[in-house]
Amino acid sequence: MTETKDRNIYEKIKKGAVFKKLVEIFGEKNVTNKSGDLYPYSYDMTECEPHMPDFIVLPENTAQLIELVKFCNSYLIPIVPYISGNNVGGLTIPENGGILVDFSKKMNKILHIDDNMMYALIEPGVTFGQLKKFLDENYPHLRYSYPYAPPYSGVVGNVILSGMNNLSCKIGSMGDSINGLEVITADGEIARIGSCFYGKDEAKPDSWWCRYPMPDLMGVFINWQGMTGLVTKCAVQLWPNPPIKKTYLAIVFGLTDVAPVMREVGRTEIIDDISAVSIEVVKMTVDIPVPKKFPGEPDFAALFSISAKTKNQFNAKKEILSNEIENLNKQGKNVILVDADEFVKLFNLRVRCYIDLPSVLLSLVEYSGLTWFGSYAPSHKLEELIEKVDKLFYKHNITPFIYMKMMKSGHYAIFRPIMRFNKFKEGEEERYHKLLEEISDVCVDLGCIPYKTPAWMTEKMRKKINPGWINLFEKIKKCMDPNNIFNPGRWNT
Amino acid sequence: MVEIDKSLMGKNVLELAFDNCIRCSTCKYSYKGFEPSCPSGEKFLFESYWASGKIRTIRGVVTGELKWSEDLKDIIFACPTCGACMDACQAPHADYIVDMIEALRELAVKHIGPAKNQEFLVSRCEENYNPYGESNSDNEDLKKQFDLPDKADWVYYIGCTSNYRQQSLRDSTLRFLKKSGINFTLIDEHCCTSPMIRTGQLSIVKDYMSYNISQIKNAGATKVITSCAGCYRTFKKDFEKFGKEFDFKVFHTLELVKQLIDDDKLKFKSEYNKIVTYHDPCHLGRHMGVYELPRAIYKQIPGLKLVEMRRNRNFAWCCGAGGGVKIGYPEWSVEISKERLEEAKETEATVISSVCPFCRTNLSDANDNYNFEFEVLDLMEIIDQLDIEIVK
Repeated sequence: MTETKDRNIYEKIKKGAVFKKLVEIFGEKNVTNKSGDLYPYSYDMTECEPHMPDFIVLPENTAQLIELVKFCNSYLIPIVPYISGNNVGGLTIPENGGILVDFSKKMNKILHIDDNMMYALIEPGVTFGQLKKFLDENYPHLRYSYPYAPPYSGVVGNVILSGMNNLSCKIGSMGDSINGLEVITADGEIARIGSCFYGKDEAKPDSWWCRYPMPDLMGVFINWQGMTGLVTKCAVQLWPNPPIKKTYLAIVFGLTDVAPVMREVGRTEIIDDISAVSIEVVKMTVDIPVPKKFPGEPDFAALFSISAKTKNQFNAKKEILSNEIENLNKQGKNVILVDADEFVKLFNLRVRCYIDLPSVLLSLVEYSGLTWFGSYAPSHKLEELIEKVDKLFYKHNITPFIYMKMMKSGHYAIFRPIMRFNKFKEGEEERYHKLLEEISDVCVDLGCIPYKTPAWMTEKMRKKINPGWINLFEKIKKCMDPNNIFNPGRWNT
Repeated sequence: MVEIDKSLMGKNVLELAFDNCIRCSTCKYSYKGFEPSCPSGEKFLFESYWASGKIRTIRGVVTGELKWSEDLKDIIFACPTCGACMDACQAPHADYIVDMIEALRELAVKHIGPAKNQEFLVSRCEENYNPYGESNSDNEDLKKQFDLPDKADWVYYIGCTSNYRQQSLRDSTLRFLKKSGINFTLIDEHCCTSPMIRTGQLSIVKDYMSYNISQIKNAGATKVITSCAGCYRTFKKDFEKFGKEFDFKVFHTLELVKQLIDDDKLKFKSEYNKIVTYHDPCHLGRHMGVYELPRAIYKQIPGLKLVEMRRNRNFAWCCGAGGGVKIGYPEWSVEISKERLEEAKETEATVISSVCPFCRTNLSDANDNYNFEFEVLDLMEIIDQLDIEIVK
């Protein structure tokens, strides 16, 4: 079950010699090849097939990693980057074995907060919880954006894989908020990308302020799932932290009506974040373990987050939102808008967890497995997506769990059917995987583009993507990583 | 106190490892505090050392994907079972994580044996009924010294650490109990078995529990009081887990002190003009949910200024003594305490105080080893330094 794929990676060098070299680079305490240590890295929360790494290393600095990359490139040994393994796509499962680089334990420093230009320069191991705490304690006037992910998830992993955040309706994808990267390429060269690119020596801390307008080499690393190099530093944008923040809950009747509600509210340009979940998920959130929807009940609940610098600004935004909901109701929609704080009071603290990020969404951690079809979606196709995917959930007798977001005022959407399952119950993984496959077929046909995509899904996508894109992708991969040492297996490389 | 869901009792806790934990890593941080909270993970750093890694290890050894070997020993035993992971984890299995680790240890003991030196916990008990290997005290001398009857309403269960390592705490408690006027006695104790349960060595556990119950019954007592957080947890939680029921009530000395204060029966007649920080023992705090009771007492002591460490209450950093770590990993155990004392140093306190002899021992060891120059005292020792009046 946890054997690595057929690829004899130790033809040119024996495992014992690799271990010796790793100890030389990282020190004895920061290297392991013990099966008990390797085992937890062999799997993630999804149904993706487990594979054991051969070694784990805990790097402390870039110099160590340069040496590692040169060594691995000489001996064709895979390198798999790892932060917390929460990507829900099997992306850090070492399909071909090799060396797993765990960044989260020692390369986890917040290197610089630039108050003037509002960015944070961080190492790959920094987590959302860590950054939140640091900003709250030292720069309370600044905020970062947080995904609906556990607080121990890595910031850099999420941004370079274009994850979500709680300012998505304003700023779009996390990938758009990167100012700069420091990367190690396959030849062991170090490169700085973005406005930090001037200078032969170490970049000045205040030079990581913008991504453009030079040729955008960042695209060679964003969404490549670690296939083109190792990211060792990343600058991410911060935003002013307004004193007033409030969340409204819209209860929407009619299965697909949540789509126009999200689109129209998105266009008001006053909302930080718009997300919506199936009503069954709301029930999970208030502690109903396997909820059902009954006739006459609403179908979706949407959350609208508003922030403001002054009370007047907040009232104006609130008025725009209320007017928009009123208009939608006049058009025949059935939407009830309530203050989320009141909803929390009515139910329990589990709901609070949903709103106060970074936090654990309790309904997502109640089983031993979690998987999803996470995708960027054309927002005008949401109605069709909801209808078809909802039917699939019912067809498989699995509680619907649809999560959506409106991105950048409605330029595009996120469509994410989620499944919780018991990983170790006979037949469960297969059952849920079958549903997931059917969902992905439907969604990809409607134009959805999965992110943090597992290899089995990219295999399907490759058959649908235009050949020119595939060829260019292969050429870039070969150019960047001729020996295929960087996270091999991703995107079926 | 964390209430155990009775529907899960009797279910093999190892099974919980298969139905729960997506390895979201929430167990690594204090929940919403975003502070490192796991001594084991923070020391060894590989995923295997955090709670989620241990849960994965259970799956591995039970399914046979992971072969039993000496290499697993540190992963399984290098953990003070402080329960910080239980507090941080928000999943349904949270309250059972320590139970799961203890069950894993029980399995490990059968397959690869206990961690280094932990076997002495049992062998010493087999000779002298205490894990320190000290000649067993039947407590008859203490009974004479404190003029205690053979039979009484209360039994002061001293516990091995207080009796053989922290006699000052024991004697302070005895003096307080005498002053309090309660009718109490001592018994010829066997170890409460906490160290064995924590390290998965269960061979003597049930017998010792039965023995202690019968000793307490023979003394005619209906109430047991202890000054040890470990003994308290064991009597209150573990006896039932091992099918040992009793009809006497179990109290920590704190509870008696607080009751006397609340009833206006305990009057402090002198001042304790020092700044004190309180260290929450894991076995009393996270394991039993007692956080405010000791604080309420410190705050009642005239002159005493109570200050909090950065990580306190359910977020408190462990002293490092529990879970068999003190005997199995003595150097690391004191390192954990060192981190706690560094945190205490950030406050203006000159006294670090707790209500557990085990915490007192380890904090004292770190204090001496690293020259922190704190006074390390149990609450009962502080009270012992004061003039008190008990209104009958």
